[in-house]
Amino acid sequence: MSQENQHSRPPGQGRPQGRSADTGSPRISRVDASVASPVKFFFASALLWLLVSSVLAVITAVKLHLPGFLNCCEYLTFGRLDAIQRNVFFYGWASNALIGLNLWLLASLGRFEFRNGWIATLGGLIWNLALTVGIASVLLDSQNAFELLELPRGVALAFFVAFLLAALWPAVAFVRRPTGQVFVSQWYILGASFVLPVVYLLTQLMVLWCPTNGVLQALVHSWFLQNFLLLWLGASALAAVYYFLPKELETTLTGYYLSTVGFWTLFLFAGWTGPATLLGSPVPLWIQSSGVVAAVMLLIPLTITSINFFGTLSRDSGWTRAWNNTTLRFVAFGLVAYTLAIALQIVFSARSLNALVRFTSFAAGQQQLLTYAFVSMVIFGAAYYILPRLTGAFWPSAKLVHLHFWSCALAVVGSVAGSLFFGWTQGAALAAAKPFAQTMHPQEALLSSACAVLFLIGHVAFALNAFGMLSTCSSSTEEARQA
Amino acid sequence: MNNLNLILAGVFSTVAASFGGLLLAGHAQLGALGRAPAEEGGPLFPALEPGLAIQGRQVYLQLGCVACHTQQVRPAGQGSDIAQGWGVRPSVARDYVLQSQVALGNRRIGPDLANYGARAKSDAEIAAHLSAPAAGSAMPAFPSLFNQGKDGSLHPNERGTALIAFLKSLRQDYSSPEAKLKQ
Repeated sequence: MSQENQHSRPPGQGRPQGRSADTGSPRISRVDASVASPVKFFFASALLWLLVSSVLAVITAVKLHLPGFLNCCEYLTFGRLDAIQRNVFFYGWASNALIGLNLWLLASLGRFEFRNGWIATLGGLIWNLALTVGIASVLLDSQNAFELLELPRGVALAFFVAFLLAALWPAVAFVRRPTGQVFVSQWYILGASFVLPVVYLLTQLMVLWCPTNGVLQALVHSWFLQNFLLLWLGASALAAVYYFLPKELETTLTGYYLSTVGFWTLFLFAGWTGPATLLGSPVPLWIQSSGVVAAVMLLIPLTITSINFFGTLSRDSGWTRAWNNTTLRFVAFGLVAYTLAIALQIVFSARSLNALVRFTSFAAGQQQLLTYAFVSMVIFGAAYYILPRLTGAFWPSAKLVHLHFWSCALAVVGSVAGSLFFGWTQGAALAAAKPFAQTMHPQEALLSSACAVLFLIGHVAFALNAFGMLSTCSSSTEEARQA
Repeated sequence: MNNLNLILAGVFSTVAASFGGLLLAGHAQLGALGRAPAEEGGPLFPALEPGLAIQGRQVYLQLGCVACHTQQVRPAGQGSDIAQGWGVRPSVARDYVLQSQVALGNRRIGPDLANYGARAKSDAEIAAHLSAPAAGSAMPAFPSLFNQGKDGSLHPNERGTALIAFLKSLRQDYSSPEAKLKQ
């Protein structure tokens, strides 16, 4: 990998955006220096949450085959820890990292020097505080019955305000951009940054504050979850892929003119795919069918991103060059996972297939394919590019980078493949009228425990490297800020 | 595509479209759904929950039971739930009209509970399962729901009793206008 030599500038990493600072290190541009403080805060917070999430994931995975593990007190019961792990992963790790990433991408693409970045940092502080309070509440008190809505409803207001502070500023940056050209990443980031607060607010209102009647709560929740996964997490990660792929390969995207259509079709159809996760539930059949049709229509944005990404990679030995580039190794892994995840979502929205795998670990595997194998791996790749540019330092250890990649890649492949395989076999066994207890395989829980440990190892390696770099609080950053 | 307002207006429209087309339309169809008799002049279903069961629902939510258990029976053509003995008929929207927070669930690490009240033979059986689940099951024990008696036996405490009452109230074995039981 090109990060091997710590003493020289890694070749092919691309020049920083904007002109260099007049004083201090020439490696930090004005734009990067202006946005360094909030972005470093978001990445550091995200990393801490990722470590917490990884430890909890090990505990919950072990509990599935050793139910007595840590069952000493009620606070550590599986249902509580599972909810906390999920919220820490999505709101703590993924959201913090993507808010920071989006901030950096908008500033870089707009070549905009961020003023008053402290407002975004304040938003991040409120966000993390709200999440901590929410998690404490789930641990010690009660939770709600919907995935990613478990936190007490009061926390939602804090999240909303925090997100406006942390993500509204990128929008302001975009409006004041010096350049007129708008790149596809900026559309995805803007779209994602406006979908999340709107959808979150409406969902909180209809499910928790003024609960709607009965199963409609589940309908609203499915709408929220698909918007969250595809149009917040997915769209933000796609923005990063659209940026890093051509930049690091030093080429243009194949079929770039199609990316507009890809953007609009994703945002048009993804919001309707919620009911495709409710097939067989007591919601009206026409609503379920709308979800299925919308899921199939995702074929359009999938085809377009495939043309854009795979077309670009198949030119000029792009795959080999991607493999040898730290950032692109993660990003390419991620975009392959994205393609598989959406393809699976399309195929398994068919009623007959869905009937087999719904409620099994198959769906969990699908979600992990999207949220970890795609979104998280892209975030890792982006971090390997961005953090050196914010700190003026290099990654302390190349070995840790290798360990991080291989540990996480093997873990996610094992975990996803295991979930999909065992979920499918359980579904087939249930369809063949085997008793429920006989359809569960102990090997599944063992595999997921092993993968959870591998994830933890990979994340610790990354955290050691990243905090090692962040803590060499370079004087060059200070000088650049004073310039 | 260089216009911020165009992007925002477009994204707003797409969100509004799915919100209106799914959520508002669903609300228009089911928002006013209430209880109904199985036959003319008969008692209304679903039955009102006993107060202890309402408290038990809070315990169910606190413990995060929804992480492993669902409460929805799928129709015969859309899953094997009825064949597994988890329900005598598919769940319908009307079954959930009295629930303040619907715990339909998303994952079955344990069996579905929508009709558990009709399957469970006694309070003692439920209590035994909560205090000492069968070997090989992924379900943990919940000692915090029990007090130990002088003879070493376990008796459900206030929360345990409430949870048992809630689980017993989980029944979908009555006819509904949309889903009549086969006689």
